[in-house]
Amino acid sequence: MGPSRGRRYSLLLLMLAGFGVILFRLVTLQVLQAAELTARADRQHQKSVTLEGARGTVTDRHGKVLAMNVEVPSIFGVPTSLDNPANAARFLSPVLHIRREEIEKKLRQDKHFVWLARKVEPEQGHRLEQLSIDGIGMVMEGRRFYPKGPLLAHVLGFVGMDGVGLEGLERRYEAQLHGEKRMTILQRDALGRTVFPKGLREQVPAAGHALTLTIDEVIQYIAEKELEEAVDHSRAKSGTIIVLEPQSGAILAMAVSPRFDPNAVAALTADRWRNRALTDTYEPGSTMKVVVAAAALEERTMMPGSMLFGENGRMTIANTTIHDHEKLGWMTFSQMIQKSSNIGAAKTGMLLGEQRLYRYLQAFGFGQRTDVDLPGEVAGLLKSPREWGRRSLASISMGQEVGVTPLQMVSAVAAIANDGVLMKPYVVAGVRDQKGQLAKETIPQVKRRVVSSVTARTLTTILEGVVTDGTGTKAAIPGFRVAGKTGTAQKVDPRTGAYSSALSIGSFVGFVPADSPRLAMIVVIDEPQGEAWGGVVAAPVFRRVGEQVLTYLGVSRDDQVKIAMVAP
Amino acid sequence: MKSVAIIVGVCLVFFFVWERVDIVRLGYHIERLKAQKVLLERERDQLQVKVSALMAPERIAKVATDKLGMVPPQQGQVLIVQPRQAPTVPLEQVRIARTVSMGRGER
Repeated sequence: MGPSRGRRYSLLLLMLAGFGVILFRLVTLQVLQAAELTARADRQHQKSVTLEGARGTVTDRHGKVLAMNVEVPSIFGVPTSLDNPANAARFLSPVLHIRREEIEKKLRQDKHFVWLARKVEPEQGHRLEQLSIDGIGMVMEGRRFYPKGPLLAHVLGFVGMDGVGLEGLERRYEAQLHGEKRMTILQRDALGRTVFPKGLREQVPAAGHALTLTIDEVIQYIAEKELEEAVDHSRAKSGTIIVLEPQSGAILAMAVSPRFDPNAVAALTADRWRNRALTDTYEPGSTMKVVVAAAALEERTMMPGSMLFGENGRMTIANTTIHDHEKLGWMTFSQMIQKSSNIGAAKTGMLLGEQRLYRYLQAFGFGQRTDVDLPGEVAGLLKSPREWGRRSLASISMGQEVGVTPLQMVSAVAAIANDGVLMKPYVVAGVRDQKGQLAKETIPQVKRRVVSSVTARTLTTILEGVVTDGTGTKAAIPGFRVAGKTGTAQKVDPRTGAYSSALSIGSFVGFVPADSPRLAMIVVIDEPQGEAWGGVVAAPVFRRVGEQVLTYLGVSRDDQVKIAMVAP
Repeated sequence: MKSVAIIVGVCLVFFFVWERVDIVRLGYHIERLKAQKVLLERERDQLQVKVSALMAPERIAKVATDKLGMVPPQQGQVLIVQPRQAPTVPLEQVRIARTVSMGRGER
């Protein structure tokens, strides 16, 4: 009995000890190390990924796509997993269009990860999948496409390799365009496959907002085509055209030559993608006479019939001589504008006086940004009268000693077309969220009234005379009343610091139809070779663009037969 | 009573196991569909880029002029048609106007 009982106790103790060990281990695992072990298990069967919503699209006013994101493959290598880098490079080279030696050099690095080619064409990704090379992988990344190529490139700008806007609208509206970034936790099985999101609460990150522009891609195309032809024909350095709606300030087209393709900017310099329409200033020359004339008419220092003497083409002011392009005698104020007399403009400015002229220049928006919704805009140069010299009043009246951007100039003339009211120019008409709901709409914004309605109408009549009988006859569009002004400005030679006889800027700014304006437009041709008069190099471009755009918009000519569709 | 309780208990256990298995199965199915959706969206976006590129005014103008021999309309060849409720021009005059205008364009 005794030994048997003793063995039972021994067995019981042994079992208790065994259970004690198990219990201790259980408490250790389930209680003491619970947090650490749970975290370790989670790391094994969960994976966290950062998802990013697609960048918003950019469309023109009719919904035509100008910029959008598409997911494309990016190719990487894992050098430490490669047995034969030379062999891998031999297969990859013809697919990626990269030199074999270059790929091999990357694959021989002592790294766990190297990019071989980022954001390549989808077709290259398919070919690579078929090759199935160990140690070579592929991830999808969003790539920005500009399907219309160079069209509107200076306004759209472009994004960098990381998808962040670097220039143009892409930069200005980065906050609205970029997609939401969100981290999501996914469950994975023993093979690493995703099972379902933890807690089934995965939410797709929101795509960026879409921009609808005021730009019309057809008008933009017409402007770019005609500008390219004009710049080529006159062998000019560059050119700019801006077309806007005078009543709203909405920009319909903004063309800059030479153009560039935002799909391939890597090899280009900033000089190529700079939006000269608002980053470059120039001395406007005679187009500034529009503002001087508006001020004189508003202040009643001049009437259309007021007589001025042209001094037979030469006048001395502050020991310098002002010339006209022809010997002019007595003329009316209207004729002075039509013939673009510098001497007449100088006399008009002197009658106004420094303070009044300066006040009107400021009111028309010179020397300050227009606040257009594009980056890089400059304020131009307008010195205060305290800094003016003895000749400044005369010089500024004929468009010298003042630096303006093409956008400032066309906005100022659009104010005349808009019955004397200056509008704020803008490019983005609306911002829509990913569901297509309007998140923000741009309401045309009045900046100020610059002249009375009567002055605007009187000046319009005078500016019509520029096109019918003056220096701008080549801007005339058959069947339409055109109002505008030519400008030819000598440029300062950077080597001598004096006005150059060879370098100049020819421009034309105006609006059409004069009696009910639909378009205000400026054409600026920088450094044309040969004849550089604004009336010769820029006015014909105004005509060609205006004629095509008015036809496209369905604006009927004065002499056109109108047909009414009648319901049967 | 006891046996019924055991049967119900066993059924509940089977139901619980079936539910877990089905959740995993549906999870895989959802992932397959999601992957398919991503591929289709990608293809849609690529096609949209192609369509937009093909509809570029520059390309259309080139095809119209170079391939089809089209030219921009000349003065008098464009008629502005405005929808109206009531007739503003008698039909006869419309016919005459069109004839005159076409004739002008052909010259």
